[in-house]
Amino acid sequence: MHKRFNPIKDKSSEIIEFLMSSPDMPEDEALRFKLRLSIEEAVENVVRYAYEGGIGWLEAGTSLDEDNLVLTVELRDAGVPFNPLDREDPDITLSAEDREIGGLGIFLCKQMMDSINYRYEDGNNILTMTKNINK
Amino acid sequence: MEVTIKNEGEKTYVTLNGRLDTTNADQFQTDIQPLMTMPKPDIDIDCTDMSYTSSQGLRIFLSLQKSVLARGGKMVMLHMNPQVKEVFDITGFSNIIAIR
Repeated sequence: MHKRFNPIKDKSSEIIEFLMSSPDMPEDEALRFKLRLSIEEAVENVVRYAYEGGIGWLEAGTSLDEDNLVLTVELRDAGVPFNPLDREDPDITLSAEDREIGGLGIFLCKQMMDSINYRYEDGNNILTMTKNINK
Repeated sequence: MEVTIKNEGEKTYVTLNGRLDTTNADQFQTDIQPLMTMPKPDIDIDCTDMSYTSSQGLRIFLSLQKSVLARGGKMVMLHMNPQVKEVFDITGFSNIIAIR
């Protein structure tokens, strides 16, 4: 199930709900929590930073592998080339005083999903995240 | 996300209800402004009915905790559901914010 949103300014919520309502999504609440969180962080990243003023498109979709075991979420945009995986993980051992505010979004995706991959292809940023939904 | 704030003597009781996400993080930030200015805060945050938080919520909890510590106060978050607790554990927030 795929859909193109254009423009994406202020559309985070609509895009997240579109993905969460996909028939590919599992019913298990704990899994849905992890998926929603990862999707929100990844979508928000594109909506905020990919295009100046949010004027541009994002294509969002889900798919299942042939055994219906592994869910893939894919986000594609034509914004500024940006690999979110280049960002260094936050140091989670620091004290409250020393912790920086922010920088947790993609870190949470990495922790919540089984895999997260980025590629730049034909002028598009393509982020794919997978999760085994039959645990 | 519904936020209620009650002051009883020296103590402040906050109750959170609903999902804290990108759609309401700015409003949440505004709602908790009174907590950011009180001298020597002693805050209990009841999270029983907070069903979800994303990094947008985490950044606000961290700035609140920093502000509380800077004023020599204390803050405890109570009764988080297991999923929300996991988010706090994974990000190391369980070590920098008191959770009971």
